[in-house]
Order: sequence, then C-alpha cells, then structure tokens
Amino acid sequence: MQFLQHELAYRLARQRLSRRDALRAMGAGIGAIGLAATLGGTSAATAAGSPLAPKLPHFAPRAKRLIQLFMPGGPSQVDTFDHKPLLATHAGERPALVDRKSLRNTKMGLMPSPFGFKKYGQCGKWVSDIFPEVATCVDEISFIHSMHTDIPEHAGGILMTHLGSLQPNRPSLGSWLTYGLGSESENLPGFVAMSPRAQPRGKGACWGNAFLPGAYAGAYVNIQHMQPGAVISDLKSAGLSREQQAEQIELLTKINQLQLARMEQDQNLEAGIHALEMAFRMQLSVPEVFDVSQESEQTRRLYGDSEFGKGCLIARRLVEQGVRVVQLSHSIDGYDIAWDTGHENIVDGHAVLAKACDQGIAGLLRDLKGRGLLDETLVVWGGEFGRAPTSEGAKGRDHDHYGYTVWMAGGGVKKGYSHGATDEFGLSAVEQRVHVHDLNATILHLMGLDHERLTYRFSGRDYRLTDVHGHVVHDILA
Amino acid sequence: MPHFAIRSCRLQRLGGRRGFRRGYDYECTGFRGTKLFLGFGGPMNRIFPLWFAALVALAGPSPADDLPAHPLPPEQVEFFENKVRPLLVENCFSCHSAAAEAEGNLMAGLRIDSLAGLLKGGDSGAAVVPGEPDKSLVVEAVRYANEDMAMPPEAKLRPDEIAVLTTWVQMGAPWPGSEVAEEASPTQARAPYDWEKIRREHWAFRPIVKPPVPAVQDGTWTRTEIDHFVLAGLEAAGLAPNLPAEKHLLIRRAALDLTGLPPTPEQVAAFLADDSPEAFAKVVDALLASDAYGERWARHWLDVARYSDVHGGFDAKAIASTWRYRDWVVQALNADLPYDQFLTRQIAGDLLEGVPDPAATGLFACGPTYSSDGGDAEAQAQAEAETLADRVDTFSRGLLGLTVACARCHDHKFDPITAKDYYAIAGVFRNTGLQDFPSAPQTEIDAYEAGQQSLKTQEKSIEKWLASTASRLGIEPAKLEQSIDESLKAELAELRADLERRKQAAPAMYATLTGLKDIGSADMPVALRGDLRKPGEMAPRRFLEIVAGADATSYALGSGRLELARSVVAPDNPLTPRVIVNRVWGWHFGKGLVRTPSNFGVLGDKPTHPELLDWLAADCVEHGWSLKRLHRQILLSSAWQVSSGFDAAKFARDGDNRLLWRMSPRKLEVEAWRDSLLAVTGELDRSVGGPPANEIWQSNRRTLYASTSRTGEVFHADRFLRMFDAPAAVSSAEQRVETTVPQQYLFMLNSPFMTGRAQVLGDSLRSLPGDLPEKIRLIYLRLYSRPPEPAEIALADAWLSADPSPHAWQRYAQVLLSAHELIQIE
Repeated sequence: MQFLQHELAYRLARQRLSRRDALRAMGAGIGAIGLAATLGGTSAATAAGSPLAPKLPHFAPRAKRLIQLFMPGGPSQVDTFDHKPLLATHAGERPALVDRKSLRNTKMGLMPSPFGFKKYGQCGKWVSDIFPEVATCVDEISFIHSMHTDIPEHAGGILMTHLGSLQPNRPSLGSWLTYGLGSESENLPGFVAMSPRAQPRGKGACWGNAFLPGAYAGAYVNIQHMQPGAVISDLKSAGLSREQQAEQIELLTKINQLQLARMEQDQNLEAGIHALEMAFRMQLSVPEVFDVSQESEQTRRLYGDSEFGKGCLIARRLVEQGVRVVQLSHSIDGYDIAWDTGHENIVDGHAVLAKACDQGIAGLLRDLKGRGLLDETLVVWGGEFGRAPTSEGAKGRDHDHYGYTVWMAGGGVKKGYSHGATDEFGLSAVEQRVHVHDLNATILHLMGLDHERLTYRFSGRDYRLTDVHGHVVHDILA
Repeated sequence: MPHFAIRSCRLQRLGGRRGFRRGYDYECTGFRGTKLFLGFGGPMNRIFPLWFAALVALAGPSPADDLPAHPLPPEQVEFFENKVRPLLVENCFSCHSAAAEAEGNLMAGLRIDSLAGLLKGGDSGAAVVPGEPDKSLVVEAVRYANEDMAMPPEAKLRPDEIAVLTTWVQMGAPWPGSEVAEEASPTQARAPYDWEKIRREHWAFRPIVKPPVPAVQDGTWTRTEIDHFVLAGLEAAGLAPNLPAEKHLLIRRAALDLTGLPPTPEQVAAFLADDSPEAFAKVVDALLASDAYGERWARHWLDVARYSDVHGGFDAKAIASTWRYRDWVVQALNADLPYDQFLTRQIAGDLLEGVPDPAATGLFACGPTYSSDGGDAEAQAQAEAETLADRVDTFSRGLLGLTVACARCHDHKFDPITAKDYYAIAGVFRNTGLQDFPSAPQTEIDAYEAGQQSLKTQEKSIEKWLASTASRLGIEPAKLEQSIDESLKAELAELRADLERRKQAAPAMYATLTGLKDIGSADMPVALRGDLRKPGEMAPRRFLEIVAGADATSYALGSGRLELARSVVAPDNPLTPRVIVNRVWGWHFGKGLVRTPSNFGVLGDKPTHPELLDWLAADCVEHGWSLKRLHRQILLSSAWQVSSGFDAAKFARDGDNRLLWRMSPRKLEVEAWRDSLLAVTGELDRSVGGPPANEIWQSNRRTLYASTSRTGEVFHADRFLRMFDAPAAVSSAEQRVETTVPQQYLFMLNSPFMTGRAQVLGDSLRSLPGDLPEKIRLIYLRLYSRPPEPAEIALADAWLSADPSPHAWQRYAQVLLSAHELIQIE
C-alpha cells in the first residue's frame, strides 16, 4: 500500500514532463550507435563536453603529437652524442674546468670514452659506435648539448624531467598536453605511457595527472607482457558478442536518455551518453593498435626485435591513430633506472642498453619519415641527466646534472643541427644553456601551446608545467 | 690556451657563487602569472585598494620622492612581470639581491631586486638611468660591451633577452609590485605586509562575529537560520528557490549524502508513510547514528589528509598500520568527537595528558616521506625540505585554508605569510619523529611482556646452569656439553624443553601503530631560497603572524605540536571554524560557500554567502564544535531540501547555482557508487574497520577499506579509483573533480565486478514474486528508490519477453546497475 501511495505521488510529480518529450529524447541519437559505432573509425569531431575533445592550441602548432623516448638512469653524453676528443689527451688529469664542487663521486681524473666515434651525415655529426643506427639519422636531428637540471639524483631528476617539479604532486608533461590539446582519437586514450619490464622510477607520477582531471592521466602498458587489456582495463566482454553488446549499450542509452528527459539538462549525463558510444568503439580499436603482427615483415624488421623496438613500433601506430602523447621508457633488465648501469663500468651497461634501443629508435625515425608523419610528430630522446667525464672508480661514471645531451627530431625542429655546448670535457653546459624548464617550454611551443598560458587553477593558484620558469629555445626551431 | 683559462675562471665563479638552484624556486606563486597580477584590477582592488595603489605608486618609473599619481599601465606591468622580472630573477638575483646580501654573496654592492637598488647602484654607480639604455650600466653589462663587467658571467644572454632589458630601461624602467616596499626597509625588521589592514579587510582574517539573521519576504519557506541567509540572497536577485524535492528523492539524497549508501525500499516506504513534521528529522538522526556515516565522512576527510596505505615520497614504502589512523577517523566521526579535539589529537594526540591518542597522529605520521637515494648532503637537504613541505602544506591548506607552503622560498607573493611563518611551522615538524605505539588492550600488552620476561628468566637459568656446571666440573665451557654424563644431559635437556614450552606459550607481539613523537625542541632558521643548507634568520616556532600577531608566544614544549594544536583551535583564530563549516557545506552541496575550500587567501574564491559562513562558524564553535549538529542543521534546512530540477530561466540567471536556487545534481564519489552497487545486490559486507584489503575485487567490504597507494600503480583499487576521479594521494585534495570518460563505461560493460554484480542481481530479480511489471517495480524501488515509468517497463518487457533466459536477466540487470541514475545524487 505504501508503495502504491508512493507511486501515485510520483506520477503526479512527473506530469509536467510530457510523454511526447520523453519519447523524443529517447529516440534521438540511438540510431547513431548501431552502425557508425561498429566502424570504429577515427574522427576529430569528438563531442564537446568530453574532457578529451580536441581543443584549439594557442597558435599554429609545428607538431601535433609527441613521442618521448625516455632513457631513465642518465645516459652518458660523452659516450653517446657529445664527442669530446680532449678526454683522450687529458686522460687521468683533473683540469680546473672539471674540478667543480660536485655532489657526486666524481673526484677522479678524466676518463676517455671507451667507445669509438665516427662522423655521420651531411651535418658531419660525431656519434659513438654504440649508436650506429641512430647515427645514420643525424641529418634529421637537433641535438641539445647544453642541457642542465636541478638535482643529480634519479627520483628527483626523473620527476623534474616529466613534471617540471621535484615533487610527485604535479601533472606530467603528457597530462598537460592532453589537457591543453585534447585527443584526436575517439577510440584511444590521449596519452599512453609504455616501458618494457620496469616502470621508470617515479612510476605513476611520470604519466600522472596530479590535480588535473583524471581523464588526462596517461594509460600505462608494460610492453614485456603486453596485453591490450593492460592499456585499458576491461576492454573485452567475457561473454558477449559484439552484436549482443551493441544491444546492451542501446538499452543503457535508452534508459539514460529517459533519465536525461526527466532531468531536462545534465552535463554529466550528456557526456556519459557520448562516452558510452566511444567505449564501444575502443573495444575494437585498442586491441588493433597494439597488434604489431598487422605490420608487414619489412616494417617489423625496420624496428628490430628488441622489446624497446617493439615499443617504438607501437608508438608509431598510436600516434598514427591520433594519440597525442606516447611516452616510451627504456629498460632491459627490470631495472627502473636502466642507464644507471654505468657506475662501475660504462662499457657493459651503455653498450648493452644502446644496442637494445638503437635500431628501434632509428626505425621509428625512418618509418615516421617514410609515412610522412615525421613533420607532424615530435620525437624527444634523453634521460634525467648525464654522466660526468671524470671517472667513478676506474671504469665508471657518476651522475652529472651540470651538462647533458637531449635530442629532438621531427615536427618543427631544425635538421642536422647541434645547439649549445658543454665545456671542452663535457661536464658542464656552458653555451646556450637549456634547463629542463626551457626544454618543456619548447616542447609545448612546438605543440602550439604557450607554456605561460597553459595553466590550471588549483587551490586558488594557476599552475604551469614550467612553474615560473622556462624560455622557448627559439634557435632550435626550424 | 687563453680561451680555456677564461672559461675556467668563469666556471669556478659559477660553481662557487651560483650555489642555489632554480629547483628551489618551484613553490613560487607564479609572479610571472600575468593573469594573477592584472587581476588586481578586479576583486583585488576591492580588497586592498589603498594598499595596492600605494605599492604601485611607489613602484613608478621615477625616484621614490617623485611619486606618479597613477598606477602603471597594465601593459607595462605585464611586460615587466612576463619578461623582465623572470630575466632578473634567473640571471641576476643570485649575486644581486637581498638573499645574496644575507648570504654575504652580494657582488659589487649592487642589488637588482628592486628599482631603488638599481637606481642607487653599486660600486660603479647607478645601474639604471630610466629612459636611457645607453647610459645604464646594466645594459652595458648584459651587452658584454665591457670585458670587466660582462654579465651574467657564465654566459651571455640571448639577443632577445638583451632587447627586453633595453626596452624596459627605454620605457623608464617601470617596476610594479612589492619589491619597492621591501626596499624601503632594507633591514628585515619592517613587515612586508600591512598586517592591520589585511586583518581588517580580507574576509578570512577578520574575527568571526555572529551576524544577525536577515529578514526575508517569504516567511513560509524558511525552516532554519540557514534559510534566511540563502533566501535573502535569492530574493535580492529576484530568484525563487525550487520546490522541495519529492520525498523519495529527499530520503535518497540524505542517505547517499550521509552514509554513501542508498536507502532500502523499506526505509523509503516508512518515510513516505510518515506524515509527521519530524519525519525527515528522524531519517537524518537514524542515518547519523549509523556506522556508515563515519565511514562515508571519513573518506571526505581522508581526501584532505592525502591518506594512502603507502608512504610515498620518492620511494613507495608501505606502512603496515596506516589503517589504524583511518579507523580512528571513522570512530572519531561516529562518536562526534568535537572538531577542535579532532584536530588537536591529529596534531598532538601522543602528547595529551591523561589519555594520549597516538593513532590520531597518522595524519602526519603517515605522510609522504622523502629520502635521498645518493646520500650526498644536497640531496638529503632536498629530501628533508620536501618532507617538511608536505607537512606544512597539509597542515595549512587542510586545516587553515592557507597556502603556507608557498612561503617556502620567499615571503608569500599574495597572502600575508612570511617565509619566517613557514619555518616557524616547519620547525615544529622538524622536531617531530615517528614511533611505534602499542595498539592493543593493556592486558594483551602485559601478557606479552610477561611471556617475554618468562623466556628471559629461563634463558638466564640455562646460562647459569651451564656456567656453574662448567666451573664445578672444571671443564672448558665450550666442551661442556660433550663431556657431561647422561643425568646432567637430561637435566639440561629438561631446562631447554622448558624454554621451548615457554616460547610456545608466550603470546605473540601485540599490534602497534606508527604515530608521532617529539625528538627535539630547537627552532630552525629560515632556509634561504628554500635551501636548508643556507640558513637565514632564526624562525622561532610559533603560529602564523597574520593570526597570532607579531608578539605571539613562541612554542617551548618539546616539538611545539601541542601548542600548535592549541593555536589552531584557539578562539581568536577565525580560519579553523570557517574552513571546516565550509568543507562540510561543500560535501553536502557539491560546492562550498567558498569554492576554494583549501585556499582562503586573496587568490581563493570569495564566499558566496559570507554572513552565512560566519554564522555557521560561530554557531558551530558555540555548540561545542559538533559536526553531527552541523549536518543536522544543514539537512533540515529548506535550502538543502529543494529539488535539483532544471529551470531554464533560473539557469540563465545563475547557471553556477551560486545563489542555491536548486540542489545541483552531482556525481556520486566512486567509493559510494561501488558501495551502492554492492548494497543493492545485497552483497555488501558491512563490517567496520580493520586492515585493508589489498585486492579490492576479492572483498565485498566498503571501498574505504581497499588499499590505495600514493603513486597510484600499486593496488588494483588505485587504477579503478583514479578512473572515477578519486584524487591522487600526493597532496591534500581540495575537492574532487567530475570527469566522464569511456573507460568508466568499459568498466560498467565488461569488468568482472560489474558482470558479477549483474549475475547476482539478475538471478534475484528473476526469482522475485509476481509478473514482469511487478518484478521490475520491485527492482526499481531497490535500485532507484522509485517505481518505474511505463516506458521503462516497456523496455524491460521488450528485452525479457524475447529471451527470458537467466543470462538475459543478468544482462538486463547489468544495464540497470550501469545507469546514470545510480551514480548521481539528484
């Protein structure tokens, strides 16, 4: 009886809502789900209201997508791309120039690179023998030899690289970019972070959203045991066919639209109806994009067979589908700061690590170029700092945050160009110094965003990726 | 190699003098933030018109004795803040600023951190001649025109940077902002803020005076004092509040709001049948009396407390006992522990006389703690500084609504908070360490101690027996056991067997929890530019000057935490009560009366209803800081009970609902949503408290009890919760955001959790009594607290009559569980 009373009261209250309106709302848009949704195509026309809808940049972008090839642990600049022949002539010495008050164990003399260097390309770039494949791409690359950062410790350095902050409570670069630009893909997350085996130190913070809305968090996948389901949880229905699922979604949409008709207007609910359609499409597109077997034998050979190479190939497939940011971190042995294997002996660690990523990186650059994607895609390679030209023990090198090398290729950067310089021995950036904040400002600039205008108000303050710092490195722009 | 020699020299200077790193600037409040600065023309002007005008006037292009009548044009302010100041900060301040002077590093006697400093100049005379770049030494220096005075020494500025400085001097060297005011007081004795004026004029610092309840035209609508304040605002704007929400929606709203669980159909029916005037009050009281209230509201507080089961910081180390702090919060709320005690115990529970309460101190004991991974002095200082920053930030934003952490490297740019204030508070936490406290009944502790004592006694007996036997027989102790006869061997064996028996009988170690303890009582110095290795003046531990005044008593008892706690809840501190009533309001309405609940500073939002805020704050303190009373007060108001219905005309006038013409519909927090799903399928495990479940999907307990990490990648719950907008526990969360993304729907469509719930619900639905419409009616009442509409029955009919299999029922149930109506509060 009580229920009956309840029902009567309820009906009365709902009388103002005409059934005709309700039915009209119910009918609208449902047809769109059936066919169009199963096609799973990419469209730039993501509905407004979705946090990932494409947004206009501040100015015309030079690059539409970013691939970060992150080398956690600190690759040594003088053993890779910053050739310092004087190290050989001054081996064992400790000239005043490198006798900096150091925070690390770099109190020994200079140690020449154990690797040979050769000149490559029209630009005549000297590259270490451990990167023979990347060496053939130097005419596509802008090297920044004058990088410097705040702290010679991995955790802090890695957070500074990705967050522009030493504390893990700021949004990551990729998160800022998806917040600023949205995604061009309706079927994939806007920001995908990947690594083989270990996640880089700092873990989730490197692709985290911190105080930005959760939609801008990077989706992480481990390439080693890669399953599409690891990228997006709950991608696959355990028991339903695609047709059955379409029916299910149609019913849910109808029920939600009845609720919308009752509420007349509700932004969350409208966005939800759209997100549901997109979810349906993602179920096809996500497994597809991670399935590298769809690539030709020739393409796969281009990237080599290392895990990192596979990651590079997936990175290309992702940006091809409109994913805004791909972060691919290196690791070969489950070590979260892979390139830190240079403390005792630079030869073993660096040679093995370079071998594991050299072909993949070169393959990525060649493949992007071959497909006409390189002009619109920014590729950034580098670690959180470098390693000192003086030795630690006899054969190793300790951290060096005073100077190190990062390189960029693709969208909007000069080709075959080298920017800035470390001193004669490669310890400190001395010419055209570029801080991490400057690098981040430059990346945002290339993507069409003014790093001073890309702000998010949190707790009464406008936050920026570059905080109060950062200058765009104009010299590097093509 | 002359070139080499010059470089070398420069580098040494660089290494020696540019000691502090840009990293320490990062807490800056963004003095390059043009928008913020230009924003002064708006609300700021209303707050500090005279103060600001005076600063701008002082900052004009002419010497200070020739004050311009008008503030600088905004484009000059913008140019300075965007281009000039950052250049000077990054390239000059390390050697030419107050900080450099304090460190004894001031070069050439020149300060570049104020216009006055530039005009006065250094050893070589005035550094700037306004309007005359070619006569200005600073321009000459950056042009590297003069080998002896090429600045900055380590590398020439870029051409565009040199152009910026030249243009600025050409403009007349306009310098806005407070630096001139600081310069007017070269010693640090004079305050950088006009304290009295700010205390008088900024709403948050004014003393709370309970305002009179305003009169309204429509006396029939108002039920409580709250309604007078709300209706007065609406009437002034010519808006009428929505009609009251329908009863079924009202009880649903109350249950979700107070307990995070939907009402049962029986509760709804009882309320609908109760026509007495107290019907709703009875509902509210019952909800407040349930354990579920504490569980729901603890989650709100844990957002502020950046609660996590993992330490966090640079590394992720688990603390086994953080859940005891979580349980403490649940129990404290359920017991309606007065809010002043609630805070006092969280700050200094271990120090309370009589009944110490160390579990409460988990707020700070379980915070992110940074450590150096290399061990060098700089990194260790950095790690300690980050840890202290977390404590000060959580303390000040969470409890006081102030961004004190912004004053870590310099005085706050916008709020009256000095770096000295920061280190006065940081000093308290620097004298605070961690300790394991027993977390068990005394009898259990005594039993454990007795067991251990018994073991020790027996071990001693054995030692004694061995020693005396050895000496009696004259055998070397090491060879004793091989050399004794059988009877002695048997004697020894019995002694050892007894020890073994005692070991078996000894009770296991009792539970402990990690809490705070005092480890010292020393003040710390201001860390110049945030670098702990660069001590400035001492910052005696005491409360914030803006609240406690310049002559506030310093803390002397141990770390000072107990005194700090007393300052927080002191009657003359207006922030604490305003902050908590605003938070509670926000958790009931979706938005606070101040919409930046953790920032009551000048960059925060201003209250939509300042008098109401003060009335509630005063009333709350008057009535013993009871939060349950406050909940009751709010829920029994007409303002809270209005419908959430859309109204185009009112929406056009006040789409943001600042005037509260309706209840804004909002999304349910993810914890409450998952709990609701388990509740409507009848599976929710209602046991309260205890260790967390590391695997959320194998537990039917409330979501509150699932392990979460700070880094967001450790437990299954991390990813799930973040997908539905739970805040990352890296810093105190101000309020939750609402996003809608496809991943949320993939979870609804495909997750084992959802299909599992759907199976349970589908099976139970199928076995309900009655025909299909009756089954649907019962299930709608259970899920949505309302009967279905004909269209909804028609949908069910179309779905289930075609295929009445159990699987079809389950699929139908999954759709009902995924409906938006279940994840919103109407």
